[in-house]
Amino acid sequence: MYFLLEQILNGVSSGAVYAIVAVGMTMIFGVMRAINFAHGEYYMIGTFGGWYATSALGLPYPAAILFGVAVTIVIAYVIGKFVMQRMIGAPVEASVVATLGVSLVLQNTAILIFGGSYKFFSAGYIEPVFFGDVGIAQQRLLIILVCILVFLGLELMVGFTRMGKTIRAVSQNIEACEVVGIDVKKVVMTTFILGTALAGFSGILTAPVNVSVYGGMGEIITFKTLPIIVMGGLGNVRGTLAAAMILGIAESLVAGHFGLQYRDSVGFITLILMLLWRPHGLFSSRARF
Amino acid sequence: MTKSSFRTVLSASTMALCAAMALPALAQDADIKIGLVSPNSGANARYGSFAQRGAALAAKEINEAGGIDGRMIEIFPADSVCTPVEGVSATQRLINQNEVDFIIGDICSSVTLAMQPLVEDAKVVLVNAASSNPQITYQAGVGGYKYSFRNYPTDEVRALSIAKYAAEKGLTKLAVLSVDSDYGRGAIDFTKKYIDDLGVTLVSEDYYKEGEVDFRSVLTKVRKSDAQAILMYGLADTTPIIARQMIEAGLAGKLPLLGNGEFSAAATIEAAPKAMDGAIEAAAWLPAYDSEGSKAFVAAYEAAYDGEEPNNHAYGHWETLHLLAQAIDDADSIDADAVVAALEAISFESPMGTITFDDHHQAIRPLLLLEIEDNAPVVTGSVTGAVTYADN
Repeated sequence: MYFLLEQILNGVSSGAVYAIVAVGMTMIFGVMRAINFAHGEYYMIGTFGGWYATSALGLPYPAAILFGVAVTIVIAYVIGKFVMQRMIGAPVEASVVATLGVSLVLQNTAILIFGGSYKFFSAGYIEPVFFGDVGIAQQRLLIILVCILVFLGLELMVGFTRMGKTIRAVSQNIEACEVVGIDVKKVVMTTFILGTALAGFSGILTAPVNVSVYGGMGEIITFKTLPIIVMGGLGNVRGTLAAAMILGIAESLVAGHFGLQYRDSVGFITLILMLLWRPHGLFSSRARF
Repeated sequence: MTKSSFRTVLSASTMALCAAMALPALAQDADIKIGLVSPNSGANARYGSFAQRGAALAAKEINEAGGIDGRMIEIFPADSVCTPVEGVSATQRLINQNEVDFIIGDICSSVTLAMQPLVEDAKVVLVNAASSNPQITYQAGVGGYKYSFRNYPTDEVRALSIAKYAAEKGLTKLAVLSVDSDYGRGAIDFTKKYIDDLGVTLVSEDYYKEGEVDFRSVLTKVRKSDAQAILMYGLADTTPIIARQMIEAGLAGKLPLLGNGEFSAAATIEAAPKAMDGAIEAAAWLPAYDSEGSKAFVAAYEAAYDGEEPNNHAYGHWETLHLLAQAIDDADSIDADAVVAALEAISFESPMGTITFDDHHQAIRPLLLLEIEDNAPVVTGSVTGAVTYADN
């Protein structure tokens, strides 16, 4: 029983990471109708920023989080300005090629600057806390807590602020937004920076438990995120949270009961099943787009 | 001496000098080409970089000492990405386009196993310096492939000595967490061959993929089981991740790591000192190894590469190139069959002792057992690498 509980808790903690990354990707999809294949790379940039701050600048971990997010925002701003803004109204293929290209450029820039070898992240709070017989690292509790806060914040923002309302408006109808005077470019840019900053943030949050930092680390995250945003329903924030938790828990149970070697197949099997039976997601009754 | 005769002497000596200076240029035409296959990109690029640097250092030392009978060594690097497909095409390029005389490689066992039939067909001598899957030499020498040699301990010896060591320490229930490759699975297969006699049992078996970062579920499972230690034949880059997550899972300091995966590297110990304390590893070499030659190598390597500490693959490839150079020198030729005969008869004085090859072309060389104590590796024993080839 405790074993099951602990495996579920492990699943929730990896689900929380997936959720923070995926929600950014799904919001960007909402306003741009484009899958951001470079999304994992912002996760990588955030992690590198945090790693650089702790190991080269000697900053404490909380400051490293700020530093990493700031670096991600700066890079996202540049790429948003030069690449993503041009994708508004462009055909879908254009954004696929553009974001794949951005992903290669970012990966290889990181490798050129820091070298191709693995770096180890040694900051953070990895001592375990035990609730009875169930143990979990402090860092993972922090991740779960941050995930709850991020989703509460997003719900409030999307529901009640002007920015949130414009994001919703743009994801429903770009032409109408332009007619009523909403600055679509600005909304796309803000959403893009918010989404990528969340990815970078989640990268630094997980670095203490995932330990390794290297140029290609974003790829795996991008591919884990894809089944989640499909399951959650593209553009659906709440759906993303539920889908991320389902995938995280399913992976954890598979790794615990069948063996680690089968874990990564869970995401891909889910993706295939979803595309076969419910291509617009678990929670939408019909596709919105 | 008359003026004219002085002139004659002068011009003659100038000509002689020119001829002497032209000689190295002539000798360069007959450089000895050595292909070096290693993973230079992908998840194992770190290993490849060490291998290339170690070999480059050896080539520099040999060339500065005048080469092999005046012939210089030239290294042709090739990238295997640690996958058999890439490794095979890299090897074919070396053989067909670069027309190399010898090949050293690969680090990943899966790649080396795929390279063996290729070099056999092309009649090019392959000396492996880092793959540990036992199969490689089971099928070499009298076992089949005449042109394959291995100057590295096999996992059969490693598996046996680790299992024995565990049994002696009273660690009889082991949880397996190895990399999913010919190296990781091979070592466990050979462990199974011996554990029954030693009274050791494996309580669980898990294999991780390259680049895996989340071991929580498995480590939780291990904590709930009655395992006394974790048996791991893993990748150096993954060891710190597992060690950090062992702290998280509350396993650090309770279950030691046993096996191989650069447990002794300074960066690994630093990432999770609590989990690495008491770890037991069987390694071919470590930077702290106490011998004059080994210390000189570490100093030369650090001087050449901005103070970077070498790992055992840097050492292995450095040593193997020196060994191959001696074999070529002994054979007095770069003819493959002559060098095979020279390698079979070689008695090479390495910083780790004398190295010879058995009839399966497996190097008989020491394997070190070490334990991490107070954040530093301590050599606790050494076994000779002689293999008894049972019916496989």
